Amino acid sequence: MILNVSGLAPSELEYRLRQTGIVLQTGSFITHLQTSIPGVAECISLLYADYPLLEQTDFADFHVSLAQPGNLRRWFRPQVLFLFDGSPPFKPLPLDQAFPMLEWGLNWCVSSQANRYLIIHAAVIEKGRYAAILPAPPGSGKSTLCAALVNRGWRLLSDELALIRVSDGKLIPLPRPVSLKNQSIDIIQNYEPGAVFSRKVNDTMKGTVAHMKAPADSITRATETAQAGWVIFPKYQAGASALLETLPRSRAFMRIADNAFNYSLLGVRGFEAMAGVIDASLCYDFTYSNLDDAIETFAALKPPISPM
Amino acid sequence: MMDSNMKWRLMTDQALQFRCWDDEFVVYNSLSGDTHLLDSTAAQILLKLQQAPSDATSLSESLAPLLHAEMDDELVIQIEQILSDLDTLVLIERT
Repeated sequence: MILNVSGLAPSELEYRLRQTGIVLQTGSFITHLQTSIPGVAECISLLYADYPLLEQTDFADFHVSLAQPGNLRRWFRPQVLFLFDGSPPFKPLPLDQAFPMLEWGLNWCVSSQANRYLIIHAAVIEKGRYAAILPAPPGSGKSTLCAALVNRGWRLLSDELALIRVSDGKLIPLPRPVSLKNQSIDIIQNYEPGAVFSRKVNDTMKGTVAHMKAPADSITRATETAQAGWVIFPKYQAGASALLETLPRSRAFMRIADNAFNYSLLGVRGFEAMAGVIDASLCYDFTYSNLDDAIETFAALKPPISPM
Repeated sequence: MMDSNMKWRLMTDQALQFRCWDDEFVVYNSLSGDTHLLDSTAAQILLKLQQAPSDATSLSESLAPLLHAEMDDELVIQIEQILSDLDTLVLIERT
């Protein structure tokens, strides 16, 4: 029988994290995580409650840990290091940012290592078998829109990384906590009072950040792939009415390629995979300011014509 | 000014992949790893050169019906300009 994180008492989770680490399954990825940093266990208990825990002997894609650097700063300005296979890929951050750093580090693990997928910086949500890919640069309101949509019936595949399986073009779920920053945190907390959030962490490189727990149904269906249906470039614009404008597929291709982590690395296989997604999708620019209007627009999306 | 009888070919060892949507082409160059957004005329020139090396005059003659254009000096100049652009993108070279 598979045990979920919620099956461990908080003290047991903290003990395991400190001693042997835990083996956590998030979608297709298995992560061995070890840490004794105070507060991280609490966040994992809150946001990863519904995720399966595997045996210590199971294979892990990533071996990560959070640790405090062993220098003098430990005493007067404590820091945290994210370690991947025992080495830090990033500079340390203030200790208070340990959980956001874990989340950013886990994203980095996938985006830098999982080259069996074409990886795009995009949120992915699904409804009625079809996925909407929302590629966008920071500040476009991608994660806010994604958080609102998954609280209104769309399934979360990812708020950050679209994983396109090169072999068949399917979208692979990676439902993890949704990262929100600054005003978006309050907006979503007001929009969906039932959503579960980690505490706010101030003064990070992204400003104030908090993570929203992924919907339970999205986690349960974390092995269920989806077919690309829409590629939508969202843009939040204060005061704008919701406006969905058709985007030529050729233009969408070039813009989505700009948002890919490993398109060049995959060579012609990356081109073919990207072309497959564009072939299968209706492409749009989407400007919005009001979340209810955005939800309505997404609810009215027509499914693409299925290939014969 | 370009000699309209100068022959052009695709870069040696280069394989191009084409996708066409909405009268525009996305072309992947396996040699450089670059992806280009091209209009229909530029893409048709590459497709012609993929078959055999050619010059601006011959390309103009064969592409005029596809472009619904008259075969005249103006078209040849237009094709020469596109050949120059494709040369800059390192997609073609002189034979």
